[in-house]
Amino acid sequence: MASVSVRIAGAHGDGVESSGALLIKVAARTGMHVFAYRGYGSIIRGGHCWYQVRLGSSELKSYGEGIDILIALNQESISNQKSRLRDNAVVIYDPSKIKVEELDGKGYRLVPIPLLDIAIAASGDPIMRNTVALGAVLKLIGINIEAFREVIKGQFGRKGDVVVEQNMKAVSGGYDHQGVQTLYSIEGDGKKRYALDGNTALSIGAYAAGCKFYAAYPMTPASTILHWFASHEDKGVMPKQVEDELAAINMAIGASSAGVRAMCGTSGGGFSLMVEGLGLAAMIETPLVVVESQRSGPSTGVTTKTEQGDILFAMHASQGEFPRIVVAPRSVKESFKVAAEAFNLSDRYQVPVIIMMDLYLSEHVETVEVLGVDGVSVDRGKLVTENKEEGRFKRYLVTEDGVSPRSVPGHKGMEFVAGSDEHNELGDLVTDMYAGLDWAIEVRKQMHSKRMRKIDTMLKNETVFVPEIFNETADHFLVTFGSTTEAAMEAVGILNSQGMNFGLVSFSYLMPLDKEKTRKMLEGKKLINVEGNYTGQLAQVIRMNTGIDITQSILKYDGEAFTGELIAKEVVTLVK
Amino acid sequence: MAEVSTAAKQVLTSGVKPIWCPGCGDYSVQAGIMKALTDLGIERENVLIVSGIGCSSSMPHPFSTFGVHSLHGRLLPVAAGAKLANDELTVIGAGGDGDGYGIGVGHLVHNARRNVDITYVVMNNEIYGLTTGQTSPTSLFGAKTKSTPFGSIENPENPIGIALAAGATYVARAFSGDPMHMAQMIKMGIQHKGFSIIDVFSPCVTFNHTNTYDWFRQRVYKLEQAGHDATSISAAMAKSLETEATNWEKIPIGLFYRVEKPTYSALDMTLQKGPLVKQPFPTKQQVMDILEEYK
Ligand SMILES: Cc1ncc(C[n+]2csc(CCOP(=O)(O)OP(=O)(O)O)c2C)c(N)n1
Ligand code: SF4
Ligand SMILES: [Mg+2]
Repeated sequence: MASVSVRIAGAHGDGVESSGALLIKVAARTGMHVFAYRGYGSIIRGGHCWYQVRLGSSELKSYGEGIDILIALNQESISNQKSRLRDNAVVIYDPSKIKVEELDGKGYRLVPIPLLDIAIAASGDPIMRNTVALGAVLKLIGINIEAFREVIKGQFGRKGDVVVEQNMKAVSGGYDHQGVQTLYSIEGDGKKRYALDGNTALSIGAYAAGCKFYAAYPMTPASTILHWFASHEDKGVMPKQVEDELAAINMAIGASSAGVRAMCGTSGGGFSLMVEGLGLAAMIETPLVVVESQRSGPSTGVTTKTEQGDILFAMHASQGEFPRIVVAPRSVKESFKVAAEAFNLSDRYQVPVIIMMDLYLSEHVETVEVLGVDGVSVDRGKLVTENKEEGRFKRYLVTEDGVSPRSVPGHKGMEFVAGSDEHNELGDLVTDMYAGLDWAIEVRKQMHSKRMRKIDTMLKNETVFVPEIFNETADHFLVTFGSTTEAAMEAVGILNSQGMNFGLVSFSYLMPLDKEKTRKMLEGKKLINVEGNYTGQLAQVIRMNTGIDITQSILKYDGEAFTGELIAKEVVTLVK
Repeated sequence: MAEVSTAAKQVLTSGVKPIWCPGCGDYSVQAGIMKALTDLGIERENVLIVSGIGCSSSMPHPFSTFGVHSLHGRLLPVAAGAKLANDELTVIGAGGDGDGYGIGVGHLVHNARRNVDITYVVMNNEIYGLTTGQTSPTSLFGAKTKSTPFGSIENPENPIGIALAAGATYVARAFSGDPMHMAQMIKMGIQHKGFSIIDVFSPCVTFNHTNTYDWFRQRVYKLEQAGHDATSISAAMAKSLETEATNWEKIPIGLFYRVEKPTYSALDMTLQKGPLVKQPFPTKQQVMDILEEYK
């Protein structure tokens, strides 16, 4: 078997999340590949939640459609999860608390373990029943119990050996329980990989690029970026929780205009409040990175569920026309790269960069061998400290490439006023008093086209603004952006193993797009767009840029994430 | 207007003509800020004047310092962000009553309680000037404006009281008709370490025909000459309520309150290592070390 999906299910407060995190860590330590995702509601205690941890001996691209091993911590977990159980699935439960009659006669392998009794005997703490169940899982998939000890030691080492021993007792209770035997053999290769989620990878990418200021107002699923910066304040970054998203974006703009690499982040609701600030950054040509982690909308929506519904909004948010970069990382690893890259692009072209995450990408955990720290370089673009010309510094000098030299406070002779009103090369306004005068009309034309020219410059100088194609000679192509890409790749693998010939075209950068190259790549191909929204927003972007109309699509807006299996199934019904 | 020597004026002047109507109170405020900066000998490259949108918010342009002319109501977050990024700058916020007490009032409360070391000058003309004369949050009850032709039925805000309640550590009020006193209030505000607000009655001669220079002249008196104890928050709060209590017959100007408290920068962990903008980017090794947490 190439992979096993373990789902821990229970109520909020049952320790579902911490058990999942523990399993991820132990498996990653043994060199297994891990892909894990959580399902939860907005309430903090009570309510159903689950953590699915998929383990494999080779790279994984989704958290897996079905459940191979279920740890049911309450009765609800049985009724709620039974539809997802695979044939032969193992169900671990405590017979003193949970009835499993509804699973009878279905061929599942029921593993009753007195989780609570063992937990109490080991530590006196009922929450340890998760650990007992984890012990059984380790045995089922053939992970040596010493790997668990190593992780627990790392986690609780300082609290003393007592806790470690209690944990070991609990885990052994499950591991050695009669009737529990190794059923799956997932081979780890012994390499220790990083296990992290998209928001963590993004935060580290930003940190590596020298982002020192992060402003936010808490909003799921972006809050963990704020938490990351807050918990790394001793590493020379300034996290700032502010009064609202208006403050978040405008503070980041303030910090950036003083020369610091700055970022703000939120979800769709907060991004709605940031819209005016986005235009300010664009107008005063101050670099800015904004993270928008999408969740199910509209309005407050489904607060803890994923969606890819905001890309058209991000591409068009704020009045008037201005160049911007919109990018949706396609994996945890790419979240790191995109974040690090974003600061260079934003500095180089003095445009806002919007990173489109989503709840699924922000929160799911993947193992990654190399994150790409060596590839991070810093380019601050036309940041200057000396005025080479006579007279006042021309901050908005009209240049061929549209990018003007930029200065920050503290440097003599480089002073200027950055104005949200239309201005001339010096930054002096042409609006209030002069609007409509012949020379002012000329200045307006010059300045607007100067800013807009940056789009051509970006397209000319950068290679990132085209989609990526896999299996160019395929008969059919799935077309994706952002976080759906990995699952689609998994689907391509499944379909091709069934004798079909599928390829994949995937977008990370969505704006601007190299229209010509994109059109050439897509032209004449049979395309199916796969997106986490109702209207096929990527297909609309493609039509807008290339005139190509994609007529078949797989769209999902139920809040849950795609898996390869799911996509493959839908594709089969579409093409047959 | 406040006296500034010609030489000093030249250094701080960009040559850009302000947009204000002849007689607008904002000219005095410009002169007051200039005098304060000149007196304090602050180099222009270390000054950042941040404004919002409104007549008053065109303040940065006549100056040869750095400036950001930002969005309506958002000058405080922009100013605070810049100050946190470079603590060595003298950051001055300059905007209108609509900007700061209306659309942006939330930021006033929060930056006051943060005690970010910036000096915020509000040109309070009790009207929306740039949008041609609508009611403002400080317009008097009954004020007849373009948007309240039958008289406003809302009570005016008490910005001094709000600033005090929010925890501003320097709270003063001035009047464009008394420029030397105003320059002094602004100067003390810049010198003060922490969040300073100076509410300046700055008459709009074009759209506010009630709150005129003469109207203010008949009513204002100086706290400094009235035995006010500016170290007492309760005395300050009582003074802030006096205007309404006297039905705007007596309006105190001057220093309401001043207290020494650690600034945001003084307490911030990261800033103990110097201004953010001067701190080095992480090395590859530092990034790799952080990544170890995830193994
Ligand atoms: C978000 C937004 N809403 C409305 C406006 C229009 N607007 C510009 S200035 C202004 C009010 C100006 O009044 P105030 O802040 O008191 O400044 P004054 O002109 O009186 O100095 C308004 C409503 C705007 N620029 N932005
Ligand atoms: S309209 Fe009023 S506030 Fe605006 S410049 Fe004229 S006098 Fe000043
Ligand atoms: Mg006003």
